[in-house]
Amino acid sequence: MLDSLLALGGLVLLRDSVEWEGRSLLKALVKKSALCGEQVHILGCEVSEEEFREGFDSDINNRLVYHDFFRDPLNWSKTGEALPGGPLGALRAMCKRTDLGPVTIALDSLSWLLLHLPCATLCQTLHAVSYQDSCPPGDGSPVGKVHVLGLLHEELHGPGPMGALSSLAQTEVTLGGTMGQASARILCRRPQQHPTDQTQWFSILPDFSLHLQEGPSKEFQPQSDPHIPLVDPMAHLTFNLHLSKKEREARDSLTLPFQFSSEKQEALLRPRPSQATSHIFYEPDAYDDLDQEDPDDDLDI
Amino acid sequence: MATVATCGGDAVGVGSAVATASKSNVTSFQRRGPRVSGTNDSGPRLVSITGTRPSVRNGQLLVSTGLPALDQLLGGGLAVGTVLLIEEDKYNIYSSLLFKYFLAEGIVNGHTLLVASANEDPANILQELPAPLLDNCKKEFDEDVYNHKTPESNIKMKIAWRYQLLPKMEQIRPVSSSRFGHYYDASKRIPQELIEASKWHGFFLPEKISPTLKVEPCSLTHGYIKLLQFIQNIIYEEGFDGSNPQKKQKNILRIGIQNLGSPLWGDDICCTENGDSGHNLTKFLYVLRGLLRTSLSACIITMPTHLIQNKAFIAHVTNLSDTVVGLESFIGSERETNPLYKDYHGLIHIRQIPRLNNLVCDESDVKDLGFKLKRKLFTIELESGFAFFHSAHF
Repeated sequence: MLDSLLALGGLVLLRDSVEWEGRSLLKALVKKSALCGEQVHILGCEVSEEEFREGFDSDINNRLVYHDFFRDPLNWSKTGEALPGGPLGALRAMCKRTDLGPVTIALDSLSWLLLHLPCATLCQTLHAVSYQDSCPPGDGSPVGKVHVLGLLHEELHGPGPMGALSSLAQTEVTLGGTMGQASARILCRRPQQHPTDQTQWFSILPDFSLHLQEGPSKEFQPQSDPHIPLVDPMAHLTFNLHLSKKEREARDSLTLPFQFSSEKQEALLRPRPSQATSHIFYEPDAYDDLDQEDPDDDLDI
Repeated sequence: MATVATCGGDAVGVGSAVATASKSNVTSFQRRGPRVSGTNDSGPRLVSITGTRPSVRNGQLLVSTGLPALDQLLGGGLAVGTVLLIEEDKYNIYSSLLFKYFLAEGIVNGHTLLVASANEDPANILQELPAPLLDNCKKEFDEDVYNHKTPESNIKMKIAWRYQLLPKMEQIRPVSSSRFGHYYDASKRIPQELIEASKWHGFFLPEKISPTLKVEPCSLTHGYIKLLQFIQNIIYEEGFDGSNPQKKQKNILRIGIQNLGSPLWGDDICCTENGDSGHNLTKFLYVLRGLLRTSLSACIITMPTHLIQNKAFIAHVTNLSDTVVGLESFIGSERETNPLYKDYHGLIHIRQIPRLNNLVCDESDVKDLGFKLKRKLFTIELESGFAFFHSAHF
């Protein structure tokens, strides 16, 4: 799954934390796109260019187009090399590109951009950059896919900006892991479809190639198993909702009072033994007065 | 208000008849009858707009929301001149479906549409509308409903055996296009000729505003101001507010605004906790409601309220809207595996129903409503069974 991350296009968020850093994964994905022949732009804001290029081969380094905002972020030196408009201007310039072919833009890091730019403007610019391929230009020529990889340090931001960026992103990769093995939880939001959630164990080799792994040994896994018990609504009742087999059979064989069954029909149609006379069957109560000669004469009217 | 609009509509109808009578150079004292003037205007007639009906409770003019089940919960439909606010579910799957049902209902009834979005081109949104189920699809509809019978429902009723023969309430047949409220097939797209025959206006925010390099605080309202101006222009030019007396049949304007309040509109209410910029959205809703009340229009807005950090703000937004419906889907939450909710895809909360020309509103007593998206149909049902367990466990 990790290796097909770039196939989807759009904004990919790499959320890392202090324990599990994400820059090596970012560099691994950058290397992968460079090897696929895509154009790669790097917006370097957090680390210096030398540090970012460290570990890459020379042919990959030659393919990377690096926009350096680390050395002089506010453009104080006013030399011609610094790009006008800062990182936002650079991103907007990438929106207006006219050359075709797939492009990967790596933002190192998106956290830096979030802290220096207003969140709404950043979201609008990212949306404009990453959704270029859904609106083809007027001449009908297909524009290649744009992949935007953003490194986001999730501990630096509150739930507001994180939620806003998550809703904008096509794919969200959260880095974690146990016992020295890194894992990536990949949440893929496709429009109008259910999001998919997968976890992939991986490691990054020293030359920044991605090595997918099986996962840690099985004995560690039950720890994360459901400590949330499955809720059974039928438990702890004062009455019984379940029927045993015998009870169910007894219930099924019960005849109901108003059902017109064949036995009842026969009983009604069966000729009565004595139909001419009618008998009254009376059983006296304990309180009944059976004195025939006393027809309420004691009543004084 | 919409009742005023209907009376106003009647008045305009009469007025236009009188106006045309006076144009034909006779005295203005005319006998009101079917042949009052020489023009083809047939005099004062009952102003009935397709796709609307008066409410049985207070005579309010209602339009369908596109989902007959939701219409029933809202007391017959959505009142003309009001706003329906939908609080989006987390991944915006079901709220966008309701949005599309609303627009598709407008197309089927021949209403004019106005679609505004900051993240998708309105033309693309219209391409993805669901296809209406008309009478010739009745047989497929029946099959679909009966195929979903669970084994428990096949047990014949033993005690109340006379009720077996009665049909269940939710098996309502799909209706033809002359009725109020239609059914849609969510798996099929609306036929292209219906879209082309309909009249629609689109507002796609990235096209309307040019990104300037200066980042000013007042630019937050820029997108909203543009949208309000756009809506106002359409209402005025096409005469939905009665400003240009129309000879032709009156129509309803259905406005759909997607993801209002998200950062793509330039609003950072979802990003920050303090309520400084919250006034942009509240002002927008206030002005929008003013525009709607004075015109024959109905509006649906979807808002990602799960992203809004300031919870008091959600209360402000609820007060400024008329009907508020919240969707909560079970995807990704622990309720997905809960056996109580296994039949449903999510919960639907009716947060507010307006009191229009009334002292009371049509609030139903039922609070536990779940929705599910079957293969073709979006149904809203009372959560069957163990409703009292709900309160015990949560």
